[in-house]
Amino acid sequence: MDSASQYLSMSEPDKSNHLWKYTPWRRIHPTGKIAEIPELASATLSLSMMDGSEIPPGVSLVRGSGGDLDLSMDNALTNSFLHAMSNSSNWLLVVESGFRLESPIILDVQTGDVASVAHISLEIGEMADFELVTRVSGGSDWFGLLRTGNIGSGTILNDVLIGLQENGTFLRSDSIEIGRDAQVRAGTVSSGSERTKSDLRYKLEERGGGIKVLGSILSAESMHLDHHIEIHHEAPDTFSRLSWHSACGGDSRTIGTGMLQVSKGAKGADAGQIFHNLLLSDSAEADSIPELEVMENDVVGCGHGTANGPIDEEQMFYLKTRGFDEKEAKRALIAAFLNSTLSEMGGEKLHEWLVGELTLQLEALHS
Amino acid sequence: MAEGGVIRVSGDSEAREAVGEYKAGWHDPENSTIRFDFGLSEEVVRQISELKEEPEWMTDIRVKAFKHFSERPMPTWGNMSMLEEIDFENICYYLKSSDSTERDWEDVPEDIRNTFERLGIPEAEQKWLSGVTAQYESEAVYHSIREDLEKQGVIFLDMDSGLKEYPEIVKKWFCSVVPYSDNKFSALNTAVWSGGSFIYVPEGVHVEMPVQAYFRINAKNMGQFERTLIIADKGSSIHYVEGCTAPSYSTDSLHSAVVELVALPGSHIRYSTIQNWSSNVYNLVTKRGIAHEDAKIEWVDGNIGSKLTMKYPAVILKGEGSHAEVISVAYSGEGQHQDAGAKIHHLASNTTSKILSKSISKNGGRGTYRGMVTVSPKADNCKLNVVCDALILDEGSRSDTYPTMEVANPSARCEHEASVSKVSDDQLFYLMSRGHSEEESLAMIVNGFFEPFTRELPMEYAVELNQLMALEMEGSIG
Repeated sequence: MDSASQYLSMSEPDKSNHLWKYTPWRRIHPTGKIAEIPELASATLSLSMMDGSEIPPGVSLVRGSGGDLDLSMDNALTNSFLHAMSNSSNWLLVVESGFRLESPIILDVQTGDVASVAHISLEIGEMADFELVTRVSGGSDWFGLLRTGNIGSGTILNDVLIGLQENGTFLRSDSIEIGRDAQVRAGTVSSGSERTKSDLRYKLEERGGGIKVLGSILSAESMHLDHHIEIHHEAPDTFSRLSWHSACGGDSRTIGTGMLQVSKGAKGADAGQIFHNLLLSDSAEADSIPELEVMENDVVGCGHGTANGPIDEEQMFYLKTRGFDEKEAKRALIAAFLNSTLSEMGGEKLHEWLVGELTLQLEALHS
Repeated sequence: MAEGGVIRVSGDSEAREAVGEYKAGWHDPENSTIRFDFGLSEEVVRQISELKEEPEWMTDIRVKAFKHFSERPMPTWGNMSMLEEIDFENICYYLKSSDSTERDWEDVPEDIRNTFERLGIPEAEQKWLSGVTAQYESEAVYHSIREDLEKQGVIFLDMDSGLKEYPEIVKKWFCSVVPYSDNKFSALNTAVWSGGSFIYVPEGVHVEMPVQAYFRINAKNMGQFERTLIIADKGSSIHYVEGCTAPSYSTDSLHSAVVELVALPGSHIRYSTIQNWSSNVYNLVTKRGIAHEDAKIEWVDGNIGSKLTMKYPAVILKGEGSHAEVISVAYSGEGQHQDAGAKIHHLASNTTSKILSKSISKNGGRGTYRGMVTVSPKADNCKLNVVCDALILDEGSRSDTYPTMEVANPSARCEHEASVSKVSDDQLFYLMSRGHSEEESLAMIVNGFFEPFTRELPMEYAVELNQLMALEMEGSIG
């Protein structure tokens, strides 16, 4: 069955399903008419280097065929829909085995001015070591991004997506499989788009694979940002950490739902997730559901936590005694809160670059 | 053999042999005075109401609830495959085994009295309880309350007598905390409820010793739908304890209770449950309390038996300064799924809550924590803390955690933490190096794991729960 038929054969998801509890499919669909698969424009993708140098050999971005999708999980609705729409916008990012690079690669995704879509297939070889930043920007009122693919054995990858859209709706779905002993950091920096529904899934399919999923989310005005993260431990000695920081101001709402699943046989799995929410205004709301499903008893540990709270009065007081005014102190504390995950997303250069991008957003929040 | 749903280790050997692992699983011959046919219809609902000579408003609520139950689909979450196995047409919705509710054990029919004696209820009453109600199938068969409490105006009745004697109080509060339309099983309970407890504690009265209700299902394919309403007036306090057992049959029974607690300003209600149904009982229960200004509601909830339990004791913190606590433990053995948790809604300012959940899965059992905590936009300075810990003792067992936290007020301080682990080799090694066998060591670690729960129980319960868990742990090693 092709993706379009698969999508059309599925019924509208129920709100009792945690995945759809806060952002119903009808609200995220481009037209709201869920039986439609509209034809959308293709986003424009390009590669560049953060230090301005030429793209080195070993990495390439080409138009691809889109390939087949695994539609066995409960993200099948989103994935089949995005896949069906991205017929003319399939991209293949190939990184050869053994590729090593210090300067981060930037993958620019320009959404354009009309509703658009893109499907990026990642084919990352073995024993590579590099950093990739996917920067999404543009003025389109609806953008859909599907990222699928594999990260080869032994590869060390810092993979960061930064959403800088001016407005509109952003539907994102990642389905990434991680190979033996690969070490991945998957960062999300989100402050653009008025409405985001994001479903990020990582499968640790082979022994020794590890992932850190990190989020630095800033919501303001009437934004509605809904992120769901799933990590599946399917092999022994796999490791994962999920650390998600959301700062919510204005009338915005941020939602963080996580699912750590440890399959039977994944002995020695070590999994943890934590959601931190900083509430900045009276009418902001933060919701979290950190879920665990553990089917193996011989685990190192599986834990999760959530903490919600306002800006700490004592920290504010401390900064004020050091000469900060109310506004500066608040801004510094928000920046520090978001920086605690941001700083883990990559190396120094990448971090500096991300801080620069985020500072602009913070300025906008306080202006 | 058991007391308050908790089993004594030394007991009736004949009964133990008959039922194997589950120690309260014997059954007595069924001597019913009234037994309805299997299946549910509006006619059955009206007949139950007529039989009980209820006022018209209650009949109307029952009929409305029945219609809601019929139209409402089964839940689309939780263990749907187990839920779908419930055959509502193969359940007896009303069965009465005694003509009346007695105040003296000697007047209770002999076979039923023997059952409760084997469960240790009369002995417990003499020793450490303020009052007892014993429910057998659909109706309460025994009921008593200490005279001094009665003189202070404490009302402790079975729910049917409560409705007869205090219709105005019941009418005011019935369905006020759990509306029949809350969920499919609250609708079912409202349609066919029978038995349960009705308690009213007057202003300023403190009931020092706990009152206890004991629920026993004896017949096959039985549905028990008790309804409990507890109202604690201003500044009063009460501790209510309930226990439940049933015989082991190869066919399933259904227990679907609704419990409503109303804690008026400054009052304190503690509701303790030791659920030890046999492994053929579906235990689908709605429990909720409303706490007014400075009131406190505590649910202390132990789930050891049943095939599938779905139970999420809830507190609505409606009044400023109110407090809620839910402490629960769950043990899931072979073929069992304990889907338990807690719900707390902070609607008022300066409210606090605490949830502590502990679960153990063994022999392929599945333990699930499912919880929800919300803070409404108008509730300033709320504090809440959720901790859930799970132990998986062997291969093939499973533990899930599904906590939801919705916070719409920036001044709220919310913390949630959970962990799933196995029994630490270091702890086992330490205890074994001090001369304990591996089995004893494991039992000690498990009792230690449950200790935050057992210390909240009356002493007699705590001792027996520890012994019960030691029994459940037998054969865990090797």
